[in-house]
Amino acid sequence: MLHVIHAYDTIAYAVLKLKIGFLMLEAINLSKSYHDHEALTDLNLSVAPGEVFCLLGANGAGKTTTINLFMGFISPDGGQVKVNDLDVVSNPAETKKHLAYIPENLNLYGNLTGLENLQFFSGLGGEKADKSSAEALLSSVGLQSDAIHKRVSQYSKGMRQKVGVAIAKAKKAGNLLLDEPTSGLDPQASNEFAQLLQEMRQNEVSILMATHDLFRAKESGTNIGIMKAGKLIHSLKSDEISLTELEQLYLETMKTESYAEATH
Amino acid sequence: MLKLLIKKEFLTALRDIRLQVSGTVLLILMLTAVLVGRQGQKQIHEEREKAQSAMYDKWVNQGAKHPHSAAHYGQFAFKPKPVLSFLDIGLDNYTGISVFLEAHKQNEILFSAAQDSNGMTRFGEMTAALILQVLLPLLIIFLTFNIFSKEREEGTLRLIHAQGLSMRQLFMGKVWGTYLMVLLIFLPVILMAYLMLDQQSASMDPTVNTKFMLLAAGYSLYFLVFVLLCVLISAFARNSGISLIGLLGLWIISCIILPKATSNLADKVYPTPTQFEFTRTIKEKVRNGIDGHNPSDSRLASLREKVLKEYGVETIEELPVNWSGIAMQAGEEYTDQVYDHEFTKVENIFKEQNKISEWAGFINPYLAVRNLSMSLAGTDFYHHVAFARAAENYRRQFVKVMNKDMELNHKPGVAYGDYKVGEEMWTSIPAFKYDLPDPISILSNQWRSIAALSLWLIGLFFLSSAYAAKIPKL
Repeated sequence: MLHVIHAYDTIAYAVLKLKIGFLMLEAINLSKSYHDHEALTDLNLSVAPGEVFCLLGANGAGKTTTINLFMGFISPDGGQVKVNDLDVVSNPAETKKHLAYIPENLNLYGNLTGLENLQFFSGLGGEKADKSSAEALLSSVGLQSDAIHKRVSQYSKGMRQKVGVAIAKAKKAGNLLLDEPTSGLDPQASNEFAQLLQEMRQNEVSILMATHDLFRAKESGTNIGIMKAGKLIHSLKSDEISLTELEQLYLETMKTESYAEATH
Repeated sequence: MLKLLIKKEFLTALRDIRLQVSGTVLLILMLTAVLVGRQGQKQIHEEREKAQSAMYDKWVNQGAKHPHSAAHYGQFAFKPKPVLSFLDIGLDNYTGISVFLEAHKQNEILFSAAQDSNGMTRFGEMTAALILQVLLPLLIIFLTFNIFSKEREEGTLRLIHAQGLSMRQLFMGKVWGTYLMVLLIFLPVILMAYLMLDQQSASMDPTVNTKFMLLAAGYSLYFLVFVLLCVLISAFARNSGISLIGLLGLWIISCIILPKATSNLADKVYPTPTQFEFTRTIKEKVRNGIDGHNPSDSRLASLREKVLKEYGVETIEELPVNWSGIAMQAGEEYTDQVYDHEFTKVENIFKEQNKISEWAGFINPYLAVRNLSMSLAGTDFYHHVAFARAAENYRRQFVKVMNKDMELNHKPGVAYGDYKVGEEMWTSIPAFKYDLPDPISILSNQWRSIAALSLWLIGLFFLSSAYAAKIPKL
């Protein structure tokens, strides 16, 4: 039998809240349905500063729905979603100030250069970056200097993701939401991306990342959640499970018919 | 924030190769239309001025003759080509350019360009107005049809929303950014057109600058209405395809179907009499009296009785004045009444038809700007009527002078051919001069179009403000 670690039970939440005052990202009994389909059912999770919570699961498991609820792109049917202890639904503008976001397919504006894209988005986020600081930021995320002034339509996916990271960094938000940011990236770009996550984590940013990549989840995450059919089936600390064990647990979870069977 | 959004919209549109090509083609087309239109207007105006002056010279040099013969010799009035007609030809091709002014008859204004051209003229010339009213909105459609859906499809809308920007702010950024792009095409054209207004323009129409500014303002308003409408529709369209089909459908309805349907409706509700009916009615009423109970014989008999009584004589031969001169002026005045009565009836029919078109501006901003533009350019029905009235007043005045001279100076007993007047009499009649209506009368005449455009603008801003927050983010 696999050793399943439930990191956050009710007591653990309470201890953590007492320690830092509030949790940066928090979902409480969160539910969401699309027509008759239950996309999310009673989700509870939290991410503290310096934590990277990786959500694993097959397509349609509810990972992107969770991210969309934190971002306020959609409204929950039940439960609460909080950012810095503020309810996302009742404080949409205020919570956005504390959130940075990198979607799965970051296309940006093809007719603008990487620099112009960064200046535009960071300006919208209230952190107006002048030319030199924007250039420095793009260099810091690994974008080559000759690419900075090229139009984004000429960029590879990895280069676009780097601009996305720069946009997220420029915002200087305490929380980062990532929706499958490494899908389609080559191993080197994926590795560079992981280093950037590490750097942000060290700056006490709380990160919630939806991913299919078990290896990246194990390497970059401090916490791992496995979702299936809109439910968080497992929630565990990444340093308490090996990659092999994680892989086995994941596959076994995906095979099982229902939540009841999975937790049996 | 708004500045940043506008800059982004403007830059992305400016760097889009499809928009670069279509925008440049449109700009070249408009500049050409303005240039060619202005040359044409100048040429036509000079021709008409020359013709007017040549005809007046002929009048002055017609030689000695009886004043009534001179009244039949007549004069011509040429409609000046309004300066701003180079921007909007309006109805000018259809309304005729000159009228023969003579005793007893109020002639039609003849020789319209459409009469002398092939059927293609009826499809309209490639004027600046046509491009601004019909083709520029097409460019707006291509600028805006995917303005939201593309961002939604490519995921940038999420990223924008993630920065904390409200959909209302984003909507307004897109509106003003697109509008700036439209102005980038419109302003060079309007600037070039303005530079073409020379000294001659001001001497022909002293208020031409005011009219030009109002025209530019009218179009600026129209473009903003169209941009708002397109961005609003595009924001709620599920995808780019639906948005494009919807906007093109709107364009076809507003620029092609509704104008035609409106004029058909106006003609149906207020039918115009045929030329044959009109002429027959006038002849009949001159003969039998306006009410049909006052035939010309009895009118003449009662006039004779009145004049004889006034001078205290028994017969026409005893009159100290020329009876023919009095009778002719009276006949002239009666005919004028008949013409006034019938022309006013027809004019009122046209006015009512125009009113329907102006009211239709409240459901179609294209019609509102089209009517306003024609009016400010001096090429609408209102201007045509103003010219016709000026020409008719001139005719009545000079025929009256001829008749008065005959009444006072052609002594009884002197044969018709023996009484003659010459150049001194002819020069006492000044050359025909027509002043174009002033901007205030044009604006008051076009209040429906102005109100329609304003209402569209206010309504769309209100709708945007009310519904922008509901624009789908995903």
